[in-house]
Formats: sequence, structure tokens, C-alpha cells
Amino acid sequence: MKNNFLIILICLFSFELSANENISLETKIFKNLRCIICQGQSIAESNSDFAQTIKIVVRDKIGQGENEKEIYEFLSEKYGEWIIYRPKFNFVNSFLWFSPYIVLLLGGLLIFKYFRKRKQ
Amino acid sequence: MLSSAGNILLTGSILFTFLIIYLSFQNLREKNFKIGKDLVYLSVFQITFIIASFILLTFGFVFSDFSLLAVYQNSHTSKPIFYKIAGVWGNHEGSLLLWINIMVIFSYLFLVFNNKSNKSYSLYTLLVQNILILGFLIFLISSSNPFFKILPVPLEGLGLNPILQDPALVIHPPLLYLGFVGSSIYFSAAMGAILSNIEGKNFASSIKTWVLISWSFQSLGIIFGSIWAYYELGWGGFWFWDPVENASLIPWFCMTALAHSVLVLEKRNYLYNWVLILSLITFISSVTGTFLVRSGILNSVHTFANDPSRGLYILIFLSLMIGFSFVIFIKRRISDKFYVEPLSKETFILSNNWFMMFYLATVFIGTVYPIFTQVLYDTKISVGPPFYNAVIAPVIIPFLIFMALGPKINWIKQKYDGLKSFILILILSCFINFLIFFFFKSYNFISNLIIISSLFLIIHSAKDFILKAKTKLHFNFSSFLSHIGFGFLIFFIILNHNFSKEFDLNIKVGETKKMGNMEIKFNNLKIEERENYNAVIGYFNIFDSEKKYQKRLNPEIRVYENPQTLTFESSIITNLKQDLYLTMSNLDGSEFYNIKFQIKPFMLWIWFAALLTASGGLVRIFIKK
Repeated sequence: MKNNFLIILICLFSFELSANENISLETKIFKNLRCIICQGQSIAESNSDFAQTIKIVVRDKIGQGENEKEIYEFLSEKYGEWIIYRPKFNFVNSFLWFSPYIVLLLGGLLIFKYFRKRKQ
Repeated sequence: MLSSAGNILLTGSILFTFLIIYLSFQNLREKNFKIGKDLVYLSVFQITFIIASFILLTFGFVFSDFSLLAVYQNSHTSKPIFYKIAGVWGNHEGSLLLWINIMVIFSYLFLVFNNKSNKSYSLYTLLVQNILILGFLIFLISSSNPFFKILPVPLEGLGLNPILQDPALVIHPPLLYLGFVGSSIYFSAAMGAILSNIEGKNFASSIKTWVLISWSFQSLGIIFGSIWAYYELGWGGFWFWDPVENASLIPWFCMTALAHSVLVLEKRNYLYNWVLILSLITFISSVTGTFLVRSGILNSVHTFANDPSRGLYILIFLSLMIGFSFVIFIKRRISDKFYVEPLSKETFILSNNWFMMFYLATVFIGTVYPIFTQVLYDTKISVGPPFYNAVIAPVIIPFLIFMALGPKINWIKQKYDGLKSFILILILSCFINFLIFFFFKSYNFISNLIIISSLFLIIHSAKDFILKAKTKLHFNFSSFLSHIGFGFLIFFIILNHNFSKEFDLNIKVGETKKMGNMEIKFNNLKIEERENYNAVIGYFNIFDSEKKYQKRLNPEIRVYENPQTLTFESSIITNLKQDLYLTMSNLDGSEFYNIKFQIKPFMLWIWFAALLTASGGLVRIFIKK
């Protein structure tokens, strides 16, 4: 067994990945924005002129020292919430965010109901 | 000529389907124990006619017979022969004909291979399946007839969407359809089981193989789809939680749940109602997904020509299907009464279903929620990858742990004696995770936990495999393959997710730019004329100053004339460690090109792990105990 672990470890070591430059703020924002003239692509992925324009806007805003949230607010005011891939945490979207976990909870309770009661 | 022959074949198929339905009713009333020979003969005719119509349509495409509307709209004489054939299902009409072909083939195979079952069960299944086939045939002939004729005959076709002109078009749709449409047979079987009142165990053993077949093909179809999206759509990702991807994933969750719970029904005669529900909703969700995508309600690359009347027909058909199956199910009025031990295989299988239903709910709600907010609040929102990642990621952790423990647990009851190995494997997983974290730095808390649990699953499965191989006891090899494959899949996806690098910059010919500790040089630009498009090829060199290597990447912009489209082809260098991925696009009115360079670790391993997972199903089909 020990030999196997060693092999696994050596394999892992040999990949010289370094994640010190993680995905930059810029890319993170591009990925969270929809290219609204394309079909199901984000700004990061799209080759359209619209995407190029948005990239310039976002880079400018980052340059001016605005944070992620301010940039999203600016863009969603201009183009609507449609442009942002991560739905906001608000009243309208509360059902969206919570209902999966309600399903999870109910499912768990249902399975629990079928457990044999430990009486004897 | 082709058009009338095709219409005759389709009319013939409708006639035979109708006769099968009629004769099944007759046969049900008779008191003999065997299904009438005439039904088998009719099925042979039906399958011959429908396959012949498909072959005929293929001829239409191969010989570019533009008197057929479907061929005119989706083909072109300059198109390579390969894509002329694959183009048969690269459009709405042809793909619907393929859909019906698969339904008929499954109907026939079920009739032939399931002849030992209870007679009325087989007959009811055949009946329901043929009512479905009839519904789709009427849809085909009334609003999407592939043999529709146009006069005067055009000299040239409009051509196939260039994005679809790819070898993957040959394999991806048929595989996915075998999954999607394959689920129709256990929809029909579930209805048949309710109507004929057969025992749960018999129902389970008769549908088991069919569930595995559709599960395996659905998995393969999804994998090939995402490989295709990875290299073709030019964004370097393989999963985007796009509505279409979700539409294929929802039936997959149902099939996975069914493939597990059907075992409980077979072995212990529990969960009959639940297995029936799953059998019904798998096909219902397949049709719903197709409806949402085809009708254009959800937009994506898969949206073919939209036509509201088509949408309406599928909607009515779907409502009838759901309505009838619901009423028949409710009328059954038999409730299961059973209890399970908390530590038993039954519990673990139930927990698989529990997680599957959670994923299903998340994906379903996420997909339809934008429609909902638009109607109720008049705000159009997007539900994209950040939502799914945030909601699903934490729940993957317990799921993987359960998946590791499940296969070894006995039926009915087990005393848990594996605590020591549980803790040992957990410590080992944590240790490996710590090493990854220590050397590669920075990934978030949830990623850490997912890595630990996926390692736990991998090591636990491997341990079970090694120990069982020693004792030479019966070992469920297919479940081992799927489980360990899934562990690797999650492991590599998380690493890929955390350690991918992306650079986005504008560059002109002759320039060199820095990207982190790498350099990219735009050497040259060439224009080449190819079979049915012109290619603008960029020649790039990538230098890595630390590792002192140099790589050449040549992404292309393809200019198609029929129809007029630009596509952006990525250039990828794949090795065991990572993929280098480069795309370029032109910037209007400028000599600069926008390039996206990505380093994506372990892509090959992700595909391999996904195929390993799917192979489990195939192994089970072909290797019986």
C-alpha cells in the first residue's frame, strides 16, 4: 500500500503547476457578464464587438479604482440584470437560492421516515 | 420523386403504427398466453418502413436533391460528403425522424427480447410506446415533414451552419438521442406495469438493461457534446450550464437515480412507486427539454429554426402525456410500506436518489427561473455558472463520501466495522490535499473539501477493488468503474477550475507581448482557400522563459460563404499535464487581433475520467454475472 501512496505523491509533485497568479479580477468579471447580443456566451468568451466594448469599459472602471460590485451595478443599470450571470441575493430571487436546499432537507426527512425504528 | 417515395414510407409507418395499436387492444382481450404473431410481423414492417424513410432522406442529402425543403435549407453541393450525411440530423426535420427511428427500434427490440414477460404487460407496453410513436409521426408529417417538396426546384441549397460542420456532428446527436429517446421504452413499460398490475420485481428486472443502455448513451452523448463545445465554440470551457446542457443533464440525473433504485426494487421489492415515477419523469423531462430548446423559449446554439406552431404541438402532446400518465399513476392507489435499516445498501441507494433529486431540482429551478421572473416581475435575470457552482459545490462533498461507502455495504443490514479504514483514508486524503495546497497554493475552502472527498472516493474504491481481488469474491466491477471514474472526474475538474490561467489581449502581426512569465509572438498571417471556406490563419509562437520551451499555435478564422458566417477555430496543444489553448478574432477597422490564450491543466484526464464513468454502464450491459 505504502508504495502506491508514494507513486501518487510523486505524480502529484511532478506537475509543476503554480497558481500564484489566480484568475485576475478582470477575467472574473468578464466571465460573470453575458454577451447580450450572442447566444449563451459570456464576455470572456465572445468574439463580438459588443464584448470588446464591454471589456474596455470594465478595464477603464478597474483603472479608476471601482470595485466589482460597483461595476456590476453600473452595467446592470445600463443593460438590465440580464447581463450578470450570478443572480442577486434579493427578495425576487430568494426562491431561486433557497428552494434547492429545501428540496435537500425534505428529501433527507423523507428517507429518515423510512428508517426502521429502534424499539426492540 | 424522393419526396413522394418518402411520404409513402411515412404514411405506411403511420398505418402500421395504427394497426399495432388496434391489434394490441384486440390481443389483450383474447385469452391465449402468447402475443399474436401478427403483431410481431407488423412491427417488422413498421421498423422496415421507418428505417427506409431515414435512408431515403440520407440519399436526398448525399445527392443534394433540393426539391426537398429540408435538404435545400440545410445542405449545399460544395459541402463535403461527410457533412452531407451527418447533416441529415443537423436540422429539426431530420433529427425528429432520427428520434422516431430510435423509438421504433426500441419498441421492436423490447417486443423481441422481452417475450418471457407477462403477456398483458408486454402488450400494454407496446401499446403505449406505439401511441407515443404515432404522436411523433403525426407531428413529423404535419409540421416538420422532411420530405416536404418545393417547386420550382432550387439550383443550390442554403448550406449547413458552419459551427455544425465538424466530425462530432456524426456522433454527438445520435448518442444523445439513444439516451433521450431510449428512455421512452421504460416510460411505456411503467405505464404497462401499472395497467397490467405486474409485480415490482418483474418490472424491475425487465427494465434494468434498458435503463443502463439509455444511461450509458446519455453519458457518452453529454461527454462528446462537451468535448465538441470545448474545441469548437472557442471559449476554452467544457461546461457552461447553458439551458441545453441542463436539458440533457436533467434526464441524466433521473436515469442515474433510476439505475440505482431499480436494484432495490429487484432485490427487495421496495420502492415500486418511486421507480415508476422516475421511469415516467425521465422521458417526460427528455421531451420537455427538447421542447424548451426547439421552441426557442430558451436560446442557445442548439436552437434550430423556430416555429411557434411546432412549439404548440409539442406543448399539447406533452401536456397530454403528463396528464394521462399522472391520472393512471394516481388511480393505481397502492402505497409501499417498508422500512430500511439505517446502515444498509438500501439506505445508500436512497441517498443516491436523494442527491440526484437535489441536483435535478437545482438545475431545473435555475433553468426555468428566468422565465418565471420575466412573467411575474418583468425583470429578465440570468442564472449562470456562478449560481450553479455556489449551490451545488457544497453538496458534492457528502455525496462523494456516500458514493465511496455505498458499494461495499450489504443488503438489509450491516454492522459497521470499517471505521478504522474510514478514518485512515480520510486522513490520507486530507494529507494529499494539504500537499496540493502547499505546493500550488490558493484555492478556496470548498475546493479543499471537494478535493478531500474526491480523493476519499478514489482511494476507498481502489482499496475495495484490491481487497476483493485478493479474496476472489464476487465484485461489482461496473459500479467500481463508474464510481472511481466519477471521483477522478470531480478531482480533475476542481484542479482545472482552480489552476486554469487566461490571458486576453490585442496584438498585431510582428508584435511580442508578455503574459505572466510567458511571451507570445504573432509571427505571420496567411489566407488559405479550402474546400468550402477561406481560412485566415494566425501563426503564433509561445515562449516559456522558465521552462525554456517554445510552442507553435495556429488558430484560424474561417469565412464561410454558404451561409455567410465567420467561425473562430481554436488551436490546442494537448499533453498529459495541460492544454494550451489559443483563439483569435479580428477587431473591426483595426490591424489588431484579439487573442485569448489559456492554460488548462488536466483536460485529457477530465475526458478520460468521464469516459471511465460512462464505461461502467456499458460493462454492465455486456458482462452479465
